[in-house]
Amino acid sequence: MEDCDVHSAASILASVKEQEARFERLTRALEQERRHVALQLECAQQPVVGSSGMVGNGQPVPMAWQQLVLQEQSPGSQASLATMPEAPEVLEETVTVEEDPGTPTSHISIITSEDGTTRRTETKVTKTVKTVTTRTVRQVPLGPDGLPLLDGGSPLGPFADGPLDRHFLRGGGPAATLSRAYLSSRSGFPEGPEPRDGPNYGSLSRGLGGRPPHAGPLSMGLGDGCFTLPGRREAFPMGPEPGPTSGRSLPERFQAEPYGLEDDTRSLAADDEGAPDLEPEYGTVARRRPECGRGLRARAYEDTANDSGELMEERPPFPAATAPLAQPEQGSLGSLDRVVRRSPSVDSARKEPRWRDPELPEVLAMLRHPVDPVKANAAAYLQHLCFENEGIKRRVRQLRGLPLLVALLDHPRAEVRRRACGALRNLSYGRDTDNKAAIRDCGGVPALVRLLRAARDNEVRELVTGTLWNLSSYEPLKMVIIDHGLQTLTHEVIVPHSGWEREPNEDSKPRDAEWTTVFKNTSGCLRNVSSDGVEARRRLRECDGLVDALLHALQSAVGRKDTDNKSVENCVCIMRNLSYHVHKEVPGADRYQEAEPGPPGSAAGSQRRKRDDASCFGGKKAKGKKGGEMDQNFDTLDLPKRTGAAEGFELLYQPEVVRLYLSLLTESRNFNTLEAAAGALQNLSAGNWMWATYIRASVRKERGLPVLVELLQSETDKVVRAVAIALRNLSLDLRNKDLIGSYAMAELVRNLRNAQAPAHLGARLEEDTVVAILNTIHEIVSDSLDNARSLLQAQGVPTLVALVASSLSVREAKAASHVLQAVWSYKELRGALQRDGWTKARFQSASMAKGPKGALSPGCFDDSTLPLVDKNLDGEKSASRDVVPMDALGPDGYTTLERRERRALGSDSIGEASETELLKPDPGRKATPTGPSRPSVRLVDAVGDAKPQPVDSWV
Amino acid sequence: MSYIPGQQVTAIVQRVEIHKLCRGEILILGFSIGGGIDQHHSQNPFSEDTTDKGIYVTRVSEGGPAEISGLQIGDKIMQLNCWDMTMVTHDQARKRLTKRSEEVVRLLVTAVSAEGCAAVHQSPGE
Repeated sequence: MEDCDVHSAASILASVKEQEARFERLTRALEQERRHVALQLECAQQPVVGSSGMVGNGQPVPMAWQQLVLQEQSPGSQASLATMPEAPEVLEETVTVEEDPGTPTSHISIITSEDGTTRRTETKVTKTVKTVTTRTVRQVPLGPDGLPLLDGGSPLGPFADGPLDRHFLRGGGPAATLSRAYLSSRSGFPEGPEPRDGPNYGSLSRGLGGRPPHAGPLSMGLGDGCFTLPGRREAFPMGPEPGPTSGRSLPERFQAEPYGLEDDTRSLAADDEGAPDLEPEYGTVARRRPECGRGLRARAYEDTANDSGELMEERPPFPAATAPLAQPEQGSLGSLDRVVRRSPSVDSARKEPRWRDPELPEVLAMLRHPVDPVKANAAAYLQHLCFENEGIKRRVRQLRGLPLLVALLDHPRAEVRRRACGALRNLSYGRDTDNKAAIRDCGGVPALVRLLRAARDNEVRELVTGTLWNLSSYEPLKMVIIDHGLQTLTHEVIVPHSGWEREPNEDSKPRDAEWTTVFKNTSGCLRNVSSDGVEARRRLRECDGLVDALLHALQSAVGRKDTDNKSVENCVCIMRNLSYHVHKEVPGADRYQEAEPGPPGSAAGSQRRKRDDASCFGGKKAKGKKGGEMDQNFDTLDLPKRTGAAEGFELLYQPEVVRLYLSLLTESRNFNTLEAAAGALQNLSAGNWMWATYIRASVRKERGLPVLVELLQSETDKVVRAVAIALRNLSLDLRNKDLIGSYAMAELVRNLRNAQAPAHLGARLEEDTVVAILNTIHEIVSDSLDNARSLLQAQGVPTLVALVASSLSVREAKAASHVLQAVWSYKELRGALQRDGWTKARFQSASMAKGPKGALSPGCFDDSTLPLVDKNLDGEKSASRDVVPMDALGPDGYTTLERRERRALGSDSIGEASETELLKPDPGRKATPTGPSRPSVRLVDAVGDAKPQPVDSWV
Repeated sequence: MSYIPGQQVTAIVQRVEIHKLCRGEILILGFSIGGGIDQHHSQNPFSEDTTDKGIYVTRVSEGGPAEISGLQIGDKIMQLNCWDMTMVTHDQARKRLTKRSEEVVRLLVTAVSAEGCAAVHQSPGE
């Protein structure tokens, strides 16, 4: 902004300076007056003051000194510059009235007069301040005078210019404990009834000490509109500033004291030179703060999706951590903060009380103001107003503010574009979809995409992609975003940030992905739009370089063992969505189709047929791929050989991806990532095309089954569900089925048992999960006597019977009875069952339900798809609330929306499962004993081997 | 090893003192650790409690210093030279164990089956 209007800035600056000079004069006069009175008072109260003063030279000094150090550093910590000019000022107060505030000489003279020890002379500034302190301690009796003076700030308003305030701040502030308490109470003010004063304090010292240049455009903006941009309480992260900043300076002096823990770690960090992980954690409290702000921010993103960035920035609980100091440029409010902070710093703060905040229509009118900075400020203020305020957002829409803002996206001035985009980001955020629609209706999406293409400034790119992410959660906008933005988002963000290179340099090693905010936002946006159905999936799959880049990014994440972040989650979710229905939707998919197994016929028969067909089709494979010879023996499945590397959407279903997903399943601790990776395997292993066959075999060969089985122990419902369905699809492969039957049964049954646990234990699974598990059990028990035996051994029958009897869910009960029925169909097992005291009635009761169920079996799945969506809306909502209570307000909506989309997809995937259900031969058929082919011993080894290796280190 | 916050932790611990073995440039202890607050609990095969992110002994090399000192697979390391080890990352644990400046490592460990076995493998450090 500074750069955009030098002229006006300069002129404004000049006038401001002039004013400042005037005020300074006034201030001095006032100050003189004050001192005069002070002296008189001092004389009057000599005895008391004298003693305290004496002590002041002795004991309390270090105390005060320390406090001063804190306070001194707090406002000034932004730049030591800020403190420098102040110190002389203070001096001026103590020594002579006429001293020039800016002169360093006065500074020196103080030092001499102080006759400080050598130790002190090092830090002149602090020392001078210290002088002031003792001085002011003496002045404490002035209290009646001094404090009223502070309060008198507002009456004095017109005169009260920077320097004066600084006097108060300096004079009153450091004055020993008493006034310090005062100060701190002051810093608390912003939340209080009198928001205006607090921040002025915080900001004044900085503004004056710092840089008048900033004042230029801003003051103009203010002058022009005659409005103050500040006003709202959240707008005053500055107020409490002494808090955080003193926090920052704290550790340098008092590091060890607060906690034993800190002491512990600090010393560890000290002698453990190679422990980088300690550094950020314990380095200084100060660094932690912004860090924690950021961390939370990240978490907010993770759990609540779209756009909590703005939230974090202005969130009242963290006004301190907002740390405009730490990350001044970040996000929406950074900008606003600056406005707020500086505007008073110019000279206006004192006068502001007579100003009022602009009404919303006025703000919107200012968006059309001929002067650009006014537009920018208005947009910034608008962004601020909209934050977490659905009412304002609605009104902005009703007042037709959105077209104005969208129009500003193409403004020639960068600052205006950025502010407008920031406002749009807030406006586009929330459950209310009308604003999103309004942004679309005025051409917002193409404008944003244009801005993204043009913008080189990272902040703008973050804002644009953040806005698009917000917009992408609204169904009708998804296709619009794909139409206008897919290419740009892919080529401007995804590909460059993923590290993928179309023609990798042979010499250099592959680049790693960069998990930037821009990448996170963009991947989030694509994740949302990728759930928009067939056409959206097709467009994304065929978008040049997108799949390649996403895979590269994920591989890089796995390689770096950095798989828990939001970007990875987004990428996996996109991959999962794109993997959905690949066997039907990718071009040329029909060439790979395997014959639909006839409804009747044994499993072995259908398998054989599939195999034959596969090899038949092998000859007709797509160009660029040689028909690999399919070994008739599934154990040694040969993957098709390719002449060229797969690229684009082909990569989605190449068996190589199995390893990637399994790595993610092993490494990631992000439940959404786990769920998505399992879902991707589930999608890929569904369907009856050749690639699904390969995928199923690859999962086994890559030792993926134990990984999946392990995840059945996950505490997270949705992970269990995705894994259960994946296992079910995988068990279409007969060998997988054996393995899953032997090794997953116990876990599956255990989950069922948990499902019956009282709800308050928290272990209870959702209905969908229970049904998914039951269906998986049914799948692996069908046509496999051994698996049915495993079920018996795992004590599954009592569990199932209990489920049938007690479950409140019709679907659960039906699915469970379905399984029981399948078990009873094995005559070989009946004896054992009866020995255990089970009667046919138990299973009959199951088959009572069977009558309608023959038809219900598929219908059951259909049911499950739709209700799943609705049900999860609520379920997820509350869940996400639990996770991130701080986001209870806004982002929640996003979570829900986004999750619902994914959920919708998940339900599709269940549809997919139902499809595989159709694949499955008639449940009535007889099982073929698989006895001899069951290499149980080896399997044990396999499982033992492939258990995720504990990460351990030799020492 | 789970405990309720605020409650006193009762665990049967034993002291194990291991003298590092000089193997060329490096000092080795002869065992491997798993777990840590940054690790997934599934990587800790020795505790039922999924919230337990403690450091566990996962392997002990035969005839190594650790074995000689009586360290056993499955032992949970509670303290190391008076450092708390129940709340450390895997890497922190590794670094503390492998400090070159310390030739002797005094561990406070508790065994999976500590209740039963405490008496059995009393360590020389006791």
